[in-house]
Amino acid sequence: MNIRILTISLGVAVVLVGLLTLDAVGTWPLPGSQQGYEPAQPIAYSHRLHAGELQIDCLYCHFGAEMSRHAGIPAASVCMNCHEFVTAPLGALRGEDELARRENRQPREVVSPELAKVYAAMGLGKDRKPSPGTETRPVEWVKVHNLPDYVYFDHRAHVTAGVACQACHGPVETMERMRQARDLSMGWCVNCHRDATENGISGRAVDASVDCVTCHY
Amino acid sequence: MEERADAEAVLGPARDEFPQPPVPEQAPHGRRDFLRAAGFAVGAAMVGCGRAPVERAVPYLVMPEQVIAGRASHYASACGACPAGCGVLAKSRDGRPIKLEGLDEHPLSRGGLCAVGQAAILGLYDSHRFNHPLRDGEQTSWERLDSEVMTALDRLSEEGGPIRILTGTIHSPTVLAAIETFVARFPDARHVVYDALSSSAIADAHERTHGRRMLPHYRFDRAKVIVGLDADFLGTWISPVEYTAQWREARRIGGSASNRAHHVQFEARLSLTGTKADRRYRIAPGQVGSLLSHLAARLAGKAGVEFDGAPASDPPVAAAVLDGLADRLWAARGESLVASGSQSVLDQVVCNFINHLLQSYGSTVDIGRVSRQRQGNDRALETLLAEMSRGAVGALLIAGCNPVFELPRGADLAEQIRKLPLSVSFAERPDETSEACRWVCAVPHYLEAWGDGEPVQGVLTLQQPLIEPIGGTRPLLETLAAWAGHWRPAHEMVRGRWRDEVFPAQAADSEFESFWQKAVHDGVCLASGETGAAPAAFNHAAVRPSPAASEPAAGRFAVSLYAKPGLLDGSHAYNAWLQELPDPVTKVAWDNYACLSPKAATEAGIEEGDVLRLVAADGGGPLELPVVLQPGQHDSTVAVALGYGAKASERFAGAGPEWLERGESVGPNGRVGVNAASFLRFADGSLSPTAVTASVSSAGRRHALAATQTHHTITVPEHLAPRGAARRSAIQETTLGELGSHGVPGGEHPAAHDESLWRQDHEYPGHRWGMAIDLDACTGCSACVVACQVENNIPVVGRDEVHRRREMHWIRIDRYYEGADPELRVAHQPMLCQHCDHAPCETVCPVLATVHSDEGLNQQVYNRCVGTRYCANNCPYKVRRFNWFDYARDDPTENLALNPDVTVRSRGVMEKCSFCAQRIQEAKIEARRLGIAVEDGAIRTACEQSCPAHAIVFGDVNDSESQISRALASPRAYRVLEEINVRPSVTYLQVVREDSGKGASSG
Repeated sequence: MNIRILTISLGVAVVLVGLLTLDAVGTWPLPGSQQGYEPAQPIAYSHRLHAGELQIDCLYCHFGAEMSRHAGIPAASVCMNCHEFVTAPLGALRGEDELARRENRQPREVVSPELAKVYAAMGLGKDRKPSPGTETRPVEWVKVHNLPDYVYFDHRAHVTAGVACQACHGPVETMERMRQARDLSMGWCVNCHRDATENGISGRAVDASVDCVTCHY
Repeated sequence: MEERADAEAVLGPARDEFPQPPVPEQAPHGRRDFLRAAGFAVGAAMVGCGRAPVERAVPYLVMPEQVIAGRASHYASACGACPAGCGVLAKSRDGRPIKLEGLDEHPLSRGGLCAVGQAAILGLYDSHRFNHPLRDGEQTSWERLDSEVMTALDRLSEEGGPIRILTGTIHSPTVLAAIETFVARFPDARHVVYDALSSSAIADAHERTHGRRMLPHYRFDRAKVIVGLDADFLGTWISPVEYTAQWREARRIGGSASNRAHHVQFEARLSLTGTKADRRYRIAPGQVGSLLSHLAARLAGKAGVEFDGAPASDPPVAAAVLDGLADRLWAARGESLVASGSQSVLDQVVCNFINHLLQSYGSTVDIGRVSRQRQGNDRALETLLAEMSRGAVGALLIAGCNPVFELPRGADLAEQIRKLPLSVSFAERPDETSEACRWVCAVPHYLEAWGDGEPVQGVLTLQQPLIEPIGGTRPLLETLAAWAGHWRPAHEMVRGRWRDEVFPAQAADSEFESFWQKAVHDGVCLASGETGAAPAAFNHAAVRPSPAASEPAAGRFAVSLYAKPGLLDGSHAYNAWLQELPDPVTKVAWDNYACLSPKAATEAGIEEGDVLRLVAADGGGPLELPVVLQPGQHDSTVAVALGYGAKASERFAGAGPEWLERGESVGPNGRVGVNAASFLRFADGSLSPTAVTASVSSAGRRHALAATQTHHTITVPEHLAPRGAARRSAIQETTLGELGSHGVPGGEHPAAHDESLWRQDHEYPGHRWGMAIDLDACTGCSACVVACQVENNIPVVGRDEVHRRREMHWIRIDRYYEGADPELRVAHQPMLCQHCDHAPCETVCPVLATVHSDEGLNQQVYNRCVGTRYCANNCPYKVRRFNWFDYARDDPTENLALNPDVTVRSRGVMEKCSFCAQRIQEAKIEARRLGIAVEDGAIRTACEQSCPAHAIVFGDVNDSESQISRALASPRAYRVLEEINVRPSVTYLQVVREDSGKGASSG
């Protein structure tokens, strides 16, 4: 008798606790989810500045996304297309100009400490010309968006279909430091594929397959 | 065969569809085991709790042109795995070559690539390679090597000491020129060439009959009647990929069946070529000459030419057979070809005489543009060996060959090399010869260096490097140049030679730079220039009858040494893929063995697996080898494969997964198989593989061979077979007559029935992938097996695991025998996942890890699979493979050969052929990017691409214009096990026979 009462009350308690935490359960991350991952990078590169404020197209640096599986992290030489001439943020340069004018001298060169790391990686000398003998050392970025080894995501297919970068990567143009905005789970992928097949992408009909072999081989 | 013999010992386990390995007595678990287990548990728990590992992404500092991460580039080159000189298209991902494909535009190999060529990529990432030069086995520097060797050479030059360069066949004009220059610097220097698989007698015979030592370029594609005598031209003889393409061309069933070439094979053992012949006759190895003489006498009679050589003895086959063959050859004169693999010059002279009578010279036997794929001169080799044993050689430089391993009395040669004042080996990895040499010059893999070649006169090939040399190696070309005092990079030398020699000989381009760019891009260039002096007219005086065949004395067997299509002369014995490749005929992997005919074995009281002791009549040997009963073999012949027992195979001592019951992949000698080179002999100036007779006795033990034929059998156990379906007709045959009369080919087939558990067929709105395999074209060469292994990251499991039926090959080649000796017929059937519409595997998976795609693929999802193995049990074709272990992937260099586009499967999951889903996806996405439809032929599976016979066609069945749709419309099309109505996507095309046997054979 006692045992039956105990069992019933335990059951009721479990159901109540379940009901109370239902909301929380819905937002629990899946095991292994890396959503929100925002590791420190060797160079404090700001997507907010480049993609947001300066409105540089994503594909300017991540040009691989158009024609390859991988979007690719740009080579340091791509940075140098601009940063051979732009050595520091505009504010710092203006400040130095102002200071020089006030002190009545030639403005000194201002190099931001973060860009100095790029120059050092490339083994560039003072004038940002290659100085022979200087050791070069590629920048080791920390990968933010990692998929398991058994998943083959292809950027090319998505860019071709007109999927916005932000659909998977979140509002990158607002991120000072790169963060994994979505959970990148299979359910999330499949939902988007279903939705795209049903509603199209920006009015264009697409066939976003949900066959396993689309991503797993 | 096992089935026919009904040998319970063999078939018992084969019938058992799901055999379990015997469980050994468990050792009591000790304290250490407990600690190990506890440690594992703690470790596993910690791994489970940790965050995902931090991954780094390291981009280039300066982006190289044309390299886009994740996008493959393809570069044309020439295969360097053997001297056949096939064209390859190397796929490079992120700066490293990962896959070799056949080069479609290559005039010789025509898009095919053999198993050895496919496997060569593993040689590039072989961590056992030399990556620096050696002096007395110790690492040294190139500077020191150069200065000391040059000093020694100068001293020899002053003293007039004999300097010999011993190489395998080299057809690179640039290297040959460098060797010539090098040789010319010294008063007594000579370049000696030999081939472990020698065709020297053919060249010698042409010296006698045509006044020039040359190997003709055979053109099987121009022949209407092909006669092969102990020449395995589809498997291993001279240039098998090229000959397979030609043979296929000649035998293609096009508009009229009568155009198909008739192929007759006379041979001692059942070779790959023999399995595909229309008529096959067994003769002893020594009877080739007698047979040729008899044939020559008949043809000479028809031609009205005198030939006094008809031997007194009876021919080795019925006279009527020879009469009929002579008639057929004579009727097709100008379009017939007699090719002999005999290493007797007398035999080959008679063979030349026959080809001369048949007017083959100029059509099927081209001596205007000769072959350079075998340049060995056994007479020169014999002279060199005599000099060596006299101690009359001052310096020996050895490149591209391994004489200590490949020649008889190799141990003596090694001793002689050790005593030389100067011995240099140019080698990629440690072998028997490099061990004996004082100096070792590490040479690069062919994918790391510039080079060129001229496999057939006028066909010039270019080799371009795909990767920076992984170790501190230097090509032979550069080393020779350095020793001649004018080192230049190989690139410059090759390019220079092409500017001076090749460019002027062509007319297509007027600018050298654009010519060079095009040559590098194409990988091959046809020189339009001269063909050399015309050979002298046929010298009838040279023709003499071959001596009558002598039967081996009673109780003795004639030894026939041969090469396997997967291992050739053994120079690739380091290659795990090739060691694990089952022989196409015996289906044995990881061993060599002595083949006996079943009759001979029964008479001698020998059973399969008994270890035999072979002792040569002249005292050579002994060799101890397990027996394989080989139908189709001549009764007085014992056949043994060369290329085994190499030092390079010592590395397989630890091959395979580590576990309690692990067995060895190597034999008691620490190597894979036994070296049979001690049974080679010099006979009349030729290195003969058939000159020895041997006595055979039992060694009193047994050796279980890792033979795969009875694995994964699709035969139903009798007590389970419904409706008497114990025997299933996997192979269907038709005849030329049936095809001609447009009847239903192949006779009666088991009726397909439509009852089904499924309501509807799948709908395939877009693509629907299918494959057709022409069994008439398939020679069983197994190039597809290795191509699939490379493409799909298939692990090597080792000898013991193969023995336990756990080989992982996604495509296997089933070999079927029909009839009995001497009327044995053989068929090869590549068997892979059939991607059934009503797939039995899909319905039994409890976790939906194998499901059907909208394009007809039967998908296997590794990350979902929990390893119940129900699917494999329910698969009627037995094509699913289970990962019993995490197979070794602990060699970081070797791992560079992995295909980054295919998941590396872990322990406990099922896998199987995916129709190269990665290639399908790539082609689809790329077509979408370019805004075009997926073209027919844009997707080629790895097996299809590699096939030298072009037997496999893959494509979209929904496209009525596609190649696959045309193949499916063939009257020869059928599906295997059609009667069980699983509706496979793989269609086979029937084998075509010249006349009906008993119809379909049974598995």
